Amino acid sequence: MTYLYIGKKRRTKEDPRFVMGRGRYVADVALPGMKHVALVASPHPSARIASIRTEAALAHAGVHCVLTGEEFCANTDSLQIGVDAPEVTRWALAHGVVRYAGEWVAAVVADTRALAEDAAELVEVEYDPLPYVIDPEASLEPGAVLVHPAHGSNVLYHRKFVWGPVEEAFEKAEHRIAFRAVWGRNATVPIETFGVAAQWDAGTQMLDIWASIQMPKFPDQTARALRLPGNAVRVHYDVDVGGSYGVKRGIKHTVLVGYLAKRLGMPVRLIEDRLENMRGGDMHGPDRFFDMQVAFDGDGTIRGLKIRAVDDVGAYAGRSPLQLAKPVTAICGPYRIPAVEYEPTSVMTNKTPQEAVRGFGQSPTNFAMERAIDRVARHLGMDRIALRTKNLIRKDEFPYTIPSGSTYDSGDYHAVVDKALAAIDYPALVRERDAARRAGGLAGIGISTCLEPSGGNSAFEVLFNPKNETTTWMDSCLVRVDLSGAVTGVMNTSSSGQGHETLVATVVGEVLERDPAAIRVVRADSLTALPSNSPVGSRMAIMLGGAAAGAAKKIKAALLAIAAHNFECSVEDLEYANGDVSLKGAPEKKLSWGQLVTIAHRNIHKMPPGMEPGLQEKFVWDVPTGGDLPTPEGRIQIYPCYAFEAHVVYVEIDRDTGKPSIRRYVCGHDCGVMINPDIVHGMTYGGIAHGIGAALYEKFAYSEDGQLESGTFMDYLIPSAFEVPELKIVDHCTPSPLTTFGQKGSGEAGYLGAPAAIANAVNDALEPLGVSIDRLPMSHAAIWERIATAHDTGSPTNEAGKR
Amino acid sequence: MKAPPFEYARATSLAEACELLRRYGDEAKLIAGGQSLVPMMAMRLLRPAWLIDINEIAALKFVAVESEVVRTGACARQAVLERDATIGVRMPLLKQALAWVGHVQTRNRGTAGGSLAHADPSAELPLVAQVLGAGMLLRSAKGARKIAAEEFFTGPMSTAMAPDECLEEVHWPLWQERRTGSEFTELSARHGDFAMVSAAAQIALDSEGRCVRAALGLGGVGITPLAFPGLTARLVGTRLGENDFEQLAREAAAQCDPGSDLHASAAYRRHVAGVLAARALRAAHGRAESVQ
Repeated sequence: MTYLYIGKKRRTKEDPRFVMGRGRYVADVALPGMKHVALVASPHPSARIASIRTEAALAHAGVHCVLTGEEFCANTDSLQIGVDAPEVTRWALAHGVVRYAGEWVAAVVADTRALAEDAAELVEVEYDPLPYVIDPEASLEPGAVLVHPAHGSNVLYHRKFVWGPVEEAFEKAEHRIAFRAVWGRNATVPIETFGVAAQWDAGTQMLDIWASIQMPKFPDQTARALRLPGNAVRVHYDVDVGGSYGVKRGIKHTVLVGYLAKRLGMPVRLIEDRLENMRGGDMHGPDRFFDMQVAFDGDGTIRGLKIRAVDDVGAYAGRSPLQLAKPVTAICGPYRIPAVEYEPTSVMTNKTPQEAVRGFGQSPTNFAMERAIDRVARHLGMDRIALRTKNLIRKDEFPYTIPSGSTYDSGDYHAVVDKALAAIDYPALVRERDAARRAGGLAGIGISTCLEPSGGNSAFEVLFNPKNETTTWMDSCLVRVDLSGAVTGVMNTSSSGQGHETLVATVVGEVLERDPAAIRVVRADSLTALPSNSPVGSRMAIMLGGAAAGAAKKIKAALLAIAAHNFECSVEDLEYANGDVSLKGAPEKKLSWGQLVTIAHRNIHKMPPGMEPGLQEKFVWDVPTGGDLPTPEGRIQIYPCYAFEAHVVYVEIDRDTGKPSIRRYVCGHDCGVMINPDIVHGMTYGGIAHGIGAALYEKFAYSEDGQLESGTFMDYLIPSAFEVPELKIVDHCTPSPLTTFGQKGSGEAGYLGAPAAIANAVNDALEPLGVSIDRLPMSHAAIWERIATAHDTGSPTNEAGKR
Repeated sequence: MKAPPFEYARATSLAEACELLRRYGDEAKLIAGGQSLVPMMAMRLLRPAWLIDINEIAALKFVAVESEVVRTGACARQAVLERDATIGVRMPLLKQALAWVGHVQTRNRGTAGGSLAHADPSAELPLVAQVLGAGMLLRSAKGARKIAAEEFFTGPMSTAMAPDECLEEVHWPLWQERRTGSEFTELSARHGDFAMVSAAAQIALDSEGRCVRAALGLGGVGITPLAFPGLTARLVGTRLGENDFEQLAREAAAQCDPGSDLHASAAYRRHVAGVLAARALRAAHGRAESVQ
């Protein structure tokens, strides 16, 4: 299939305004008379609030309000939560007790942010410290301190799924291994913290909201928590979002600011500072360990898998427990594994709450899985690539249904692996590594072959919460051709860097054969919008792309119908080219784009009877393959499409300090048809950089006394241009049979396989020493400690390799 | 992250800055590049009542390479020193160290004097000052005095400057030996981060290859940057080899008293101190040897 615009290297629609400094972020929204919020945060991981004295703060110049949980919680409702745990309530401000260090206790509203901070220091909170629990394993023990005593346990969710004959596989297999893999708490940490501005109009009784969001059901949740009808909250989606990849949920911030704006009758804005964001912004990602067991035969055939995953969601839950559920959709990775046991446990501790992060729990799972594959190869003395090649699902086996019930749409994993290995010149790379080792160095090659499930729907909600029957997860687009013949696409959510305006313009241009550069894309607000579930779960190329194409096809059909009516022929006799319609075989019988548009808007006497005047069409649809409830065993089709990535990375480690350096990096990638390759590559580069962070640097670390130790960019280490090497991406294209153009989602690319590949590379480097490391991030000190262990035990290979 | 309220005064001369310091003393902080001060104020870790801006004082921005010493004004930008061709040739240790100070962007604003006065024990320039035995010319409304680096650095973020004193000039001693080599190296989690450990070495050889002078220092492993004159004095008069570097590094590391933090334990820091000390000595010696 050849396309006019899809897949072509074309300028994006969004970038010019960003490059010119013309983006409009929440911080650019200046409402007349707007007031500013600063927050008072708990220094204790767990305490009873004995008293809050606000007099001194209220008396400070420029201060309008000091709000505490007592008033706020009485007048708003608790936020929604993804699993069935009604006693785990959560508001933006603590009431009675605090459950993590950094939790917001009071909000101060003042004329400027600086004044608000000055006054926040004057709020006197008296705490009675309470016992707390920081370690997730300790939190699971009987008698552990309860984070929410009313819930009766620290476990938010637990179930053991058994899909296929797992015990039989483990009994009959020739070999078994078991190990623990630990994923560090990291997040995407965008440059822009969360921000929201709100304005209550007493005349219209309506709350207007501008927010830095990437959040499904955001207007609805805001209205519910504020006890307002849905049509009293208008969320403006034409706000640029300065980065998210999952974390920009901001529901608690918005309910707080919406409440303040209404209560004070003044526009109010909260833009978190970095300290508020890192400690109290509730944006930490999965914090997880895996107890992995694999059963396999001597020839490398993997027969079964047991995964116990414990995820520490912190002190409250939003959608975070569901990050253990999404991996069910690709629980055996890209491999043929007939029997899988999965035992997810979501546990609470006195830490900052977890929120959605890029991949929604898939990257940690991929990391554990790929460490397992490498460990199987090592156990058997088998080549890691040969082991993967043997177990990867073959091209001719698609569509392929995995034990947990999802069917993978398409793929050619072997071709992608081959391309990646060719791109890095694998035999030469092995020679380079071996030469480095002979020279006394520690050097390793890492490989990972991982899936990127895409087309986000709500299937994991119903899987993890039997009381939830949400099977609809639609998206939509409206396309309009105005009187001048110009085309406008209307999308119904905000974007956080995914390039949706380019997506819509490209797809509509493709269908209508009109230049995407001339197509404008705008955003409705939440009261004028068609239904959308926001850009989560790598869904928009599929869902918004499909909706835009669907609406454009209806426009095209309308144009053809108008022409058929005027030529008194059937639509089949017509030819459509670049917006003009002519009679087949008689090109002089033609109605141009301009003429057809004029008829639609001005000449109802030339319109087919019954046809709506004007030229606009909407398209609303649900995620392909979605809509089912799980079977009693917990089998369900979750996401529809499955992209694939194969990473090959070469790492050298300074033997004396443990410092790793990534020397070479190739990522083979197949996400089907790319609508705009630059956007896909850009997201993949960023995803790999974030994956390097997760593997080597980034961690929200907690001290034993419950304090966040990495609450600034001095200690939360995001890799910079110095740490990210040149990245080479090699594309492959296996179209999806389920989508409009064969596209798959790809918003989480790179991050889903990079940590696994880097962990495998570091372990390959350590292998001659006979030691391994399965805990991320692998800091210099942690790697060195493993090396030192080998020195202490005097491994012979180590002695031989010494400088 | 907004600073608490403060008064601001822009000094147009050193005398004016000294007068303001005399008046406000403990209540005041000088601001030059602000690369450490501004974030600390924004996080409300520092709350000066007065901020005295010395960025307009042209007389504090000079760089003068003299026969015995490189003199730099306290407000000379790190980037200016880094790009100074004569410093690069005559005092390579300073240039080598500057490459590790933050990032290009922060060096464009940050000053050498600010880094020294801030006295972070893991910072690069204090280590160079300590290793080379730089002289600090201090000025107050009462007059001037000059003290050596080893007296200047008194602890983490603390110096021997009185509340009414400011740093006017730094005198970086030039070694006269033709065959001099130096090296600065450090280990940090990422490039541009605070060093977990840093090491600086400078070695001079005679025409026969015998050591005539040597200096070694370690940063990030004590309450101030550390120099080891007692250890390096032993090298004078000998031909240095691998064993000397390893031995000296081991002894220097043993004298360190590092702390533990999120990124590195005390044991790891002490181990890395030995590794980097040996590397710095080895590289400095190699450079000295390569001068014919």
